[in-house]
Amino acid sequence: MPSSFFQSPTQVYGSAILLRASLLLYGLWQDAHSPVKYTDIDYLVFTDAARYVSLGQSPYLRDTYRYTPLLAWLLVPTTWNIPGFFSFGKVLFALSDVVAGWLIARSLVKTYGLHPDRARMWACVWLLNPMVANISTRGSSEGLLCALVVGLVCAVLERKVTCAGVLLGLAVHLKIYPFVYGGAVLVGSAFSSSSSSTLKANRTATTTTTTRSYSKAVGGKGEEDEDNNEEEENILSFAYFLAPNRLLFTLTALATFSALNISMYILYDAPFLQHTYLHHVTRIDHRHNFSPYATLLYLSAADGVKGAFESLAFVPQLLLAVVVIPLTLARRSLPGTMLAQTFAFVTFNKYFLWYLVFLPFYLPQSSLIRSPRLGLAVLAAWVGTQALWLQQGYNLEFLGQSSFVPGLFLASLSFFAVNVWILGILISDLGALPVL
Amino acid sequence: MRRRITFVQASDAPFAADQASLTPSTLSIRGLDAAREERATFSFDEIPSELGQVLQQCHQLHIRWAREEPYDAVAPFSSRVSPGLHVFFTPPEEAVRTGMSIPGGVRESVCSLLKRVFDEGIKCESPQHKTSFITPPILSTRFASTAAFQYHSSLPALENFVTYLQHTTCASADEGCLQHAASILSADSVDINYDSISHALTVSGYWSHAPRSGWTEEIHKHAGGTDQVEVGLLGTEKTTEPEEVKMGGLLGVVGKDVELKPTLFSFPARHHPLPDDATYSVSFPAPTGLHPTMTISLPRASLEAPPAPPDATCALHTYLTLPSTIFGDKYQLSTADPLFLSSHNLVALRAVSGETDLEAPDWVVPRWGSNWLVELATPQQSEQAPHEWNVTIPLHMRYLEPSESGYRSAAVPWPVVFWACTAEDGTKMGINPFDRVNLGWEGLFGTRTMFYQLHPAPKSQEEPHRLVEKIDVPVLKLEGEGIFQGKVIEVGTVTVILLGLVWVLWKLGLAARSPGPRKDNKRAKTE
Repeated sequence: MPSSFFQSPTQVYGSAILLRASLLLYGLWQDAHSPVKYTDIDYLVFTDAARYVSLGQSPYLRDTYRYTPLLAWLLVPTTWNIPGFFSFGKVLFALSDVVAGWLIARSLVKTYGLHPDRARMWACVWLLNPMVANISTRGSSEGLLCALVVGLVCAVLERKVTCAGVLLGLAVHLKIYPFVYGGAVLVGSAFSSSSSSTLKANRTATTTTTTRSYSKAVGGKGEEDEDNNEEEENILSFAYFLAPNRLLFTLTALATFSALNISMYILYDAPFLQHTYLHHVTRIDHRHNFSPYATLLYLSAADGVKGAFESLAFVPQLLLAVVVIPLTLARRSLPGTMLAQTFAFVTFNKYFLWYLVFLPFYLPQSSLIRSPRLGLAVLAAWVGTQALWLQQGYNLEFLGQSSFVPGLFLASLSFFAVNVWILGILISDLGALPVL
Repeated sequence: MRRRITFVQASDAPFAADQASLTPSTLSIRGLDAAREERATFSFDEIPSELGQVLQQCHQLHIRWAREEPYDAVAPFSSRVSPGLHVFFTPPEEAVRTGMSIPGGVRESVCSLLKRVFDEGIKCESPQHKTSFITPPILSTRFASTAAFQYHSSLPALENFVTYLQHTTCASADEGCLQHAASILSADSVDINYDSISHALTVSGYWSHAPRSGWTEEIHKHAGGTDQVEVGLLGTEKTTEPEEVKMGGLLGVVGKDVELKPTLFSFPARHHPLPDDATYSVSFPAPTGLHPTMTISLPRASLEAPPAPPDATCALHTYLTLPSTIFGDKYQLSTADPLFLSSHNLVALRAVSGETDLEAPDWVVPRWGSNWLVELATPQQSEQAPHEWNVTIPLHMRYLEPSESGYRSAAVPWPVVFWACTAEDGTKMGINPFDRVNLGWEGLFGTRTMFYQLHPAPKSQEEPHRLVEKIDVPVLKLEGEGIFQGKVIEVGTVTVILLGLVWVLWKLGLAARSPGPRKDNKRAKTE
């Protein structure tokens, strides 16, 4: 793409919007002309739930609605009998995508000192990603969450403590998993009382855009800080976590999260708890998925394999995402850590594309870009193992072949291995960044 | 025990006067080619006490059984149910009214009674709050024509039932009684009805055709002389009233009448026959995978509107009885999207009840399955009527338990397919002496609806024909010995996960120890 393209915000955001608008229109056309629908089943679940709340009823009257009632409320306009308003939610999700992309570019410029053109270029990994645009225009709410999470990154890096707390509380209320980011924010240096000068330092930081100087800038600190900060803070000390900003952040996040949950519980009672949260613990859906545990879960559910492994399955996932990764990496790069956390979270459990939104923060310093050969090998392995899994899944679902073992079993373990490899590269890259 | 035996002859079947001869105590039938229905009515004190105890806890109990092999359903016995055992059960009104829904004990008794009478192996467990029965949609509680609880199980034969009958009703040496009970083995369908208002239990069997040499039997008067034994030798006659069925022939009460009396009577009927070529067949085109599509194929003759009154509105329906292994997505099927519906030749999902969870594997589903009433599309007038009209219903399999072969078989009974037509106001279906209700599907329509049943006609070359489709479902392959063992999966998964974890932790350790470029800078400065 010509570099002049990235110089123009109008062109970048215009084409991001255009991409989504055309997919949206195409989706409407496909829905109207084909019995195979473009619209995601989940969108029908959301809009059904919105219909219930618009009638003053509980959204949980809709089977498989497993989200906060906020989402159903947000989509009430889809129930208005105005032509085109059924797509309100998709427009909202797609716009959230674009907002997330805009926040990414803004953050790359403001806190990492990237040149705006370069920032927009990296943001396009998200903005012009057809997969991302496809997901949101089909009516999946992930874009909304991604906008919140990038908002969180921006708020933290810009030291907007209360705003960050509210965003995290809201994000966790919406989908549980963002709670892992709380640890990264707290361990990270953004809220250290001693680093109040950092922002200023950042703003004056070099605006050259070579990868090398970027990787310095990514840390978020100029050189003059380093001398002031000779005594490294012990990140395991109490005092570290008792810094006023950290306390304020924690309290705002908890308050937001609790306030939302208490009000939803008052409004919708036990079904809210059951479907939004407890369901994920007690679910009995053992249909195959990308999880490396899928075959074992099927086996243990049907056969009653002894051992509490189902509850143990959370241990590696939580150990990495909640404890070890933030402690090791959060002081080097916040969005990088969040990427690693998300990647670890999905690798060790289920497969989602939640981590895509962090790629623009990571790719500029990534060895996957520095060494195209490695990058291509990783991409090939990632696509290849996934394709293998999909093929085995197709054989099972549609051809009726018993491909659980060895096909799906080995495919999901291979995919897991590739993901672990990628996670290792990610960690090495982040480890090469300066500690702040 | 009162008995009513009805022979229904086709119009072209031969009948000679000497094939039925009545003496003061016995009617002898010889070589009669006819369909036959026998209905026995037991008063409450004739019912074995263990059965009576269960029945006393029922407001209504209706059992319908149909064999898996195809059979003719001739007028006035034209109604059908899917093959297998159907149970419709309503607990006493007090239990419903007081909100106790149903005392656990009652269901327990019904379930254990069903097991004892029909088959110990049927899936009917009632631990505490879980129930094996499903609750069909009740259109009107005041005039409830559907039972509160419904159950279905596959049941290929009635051996157990016959043994139970022989044990409870026949003296061990009473050869006639034993044989009489055993005759149920060849029945095509069996109905059992009990309700707490009449306190009477009726058992009826229907045989669509005579044994090879025709029906030959001696029908004796009631031994005590108190209960009526009524016999009819009938045939259907042409009628000008579309709502009515007209029967003509001979009637007699054994032990009372001195000769069979000619008769001709007509009555409005709920269930009507269709011509022999109004058939349907059901298949699941391969590969079925985990998302089989039920295909109902209808020849052109089945699409012709039934001979209902000219002002009646008619619609073609199917009523699915699906075991828990297979289910429909009620959100997918209840869509109003004309593209989806017309691509499957469906009009709408009219009613659904039972297990419709979209995710649960079979082993956590407590109830037997689900019922689906679906209205089917017929070709538009403008369209050239196709040679064969295919209606498709997308279905999904549940995960089944692992097996040695990697596959398990799921049996899906054929649905019934019928036209439902509105009847004139004031039509009283109940005066029909052969009326049949509590079939599951008929209660989902208004009480003045007429039904025209299509005939199931298997197309496959394989013999014997059965109205049950078998689907091979892929499951987790688990061998007792060899490579595909639970242990291998367990150890394999845990090993790979732990290796992955160790690798990531090692990388994190390296990263933690890596000073990053900062220290390098510092060193450079101090130097």
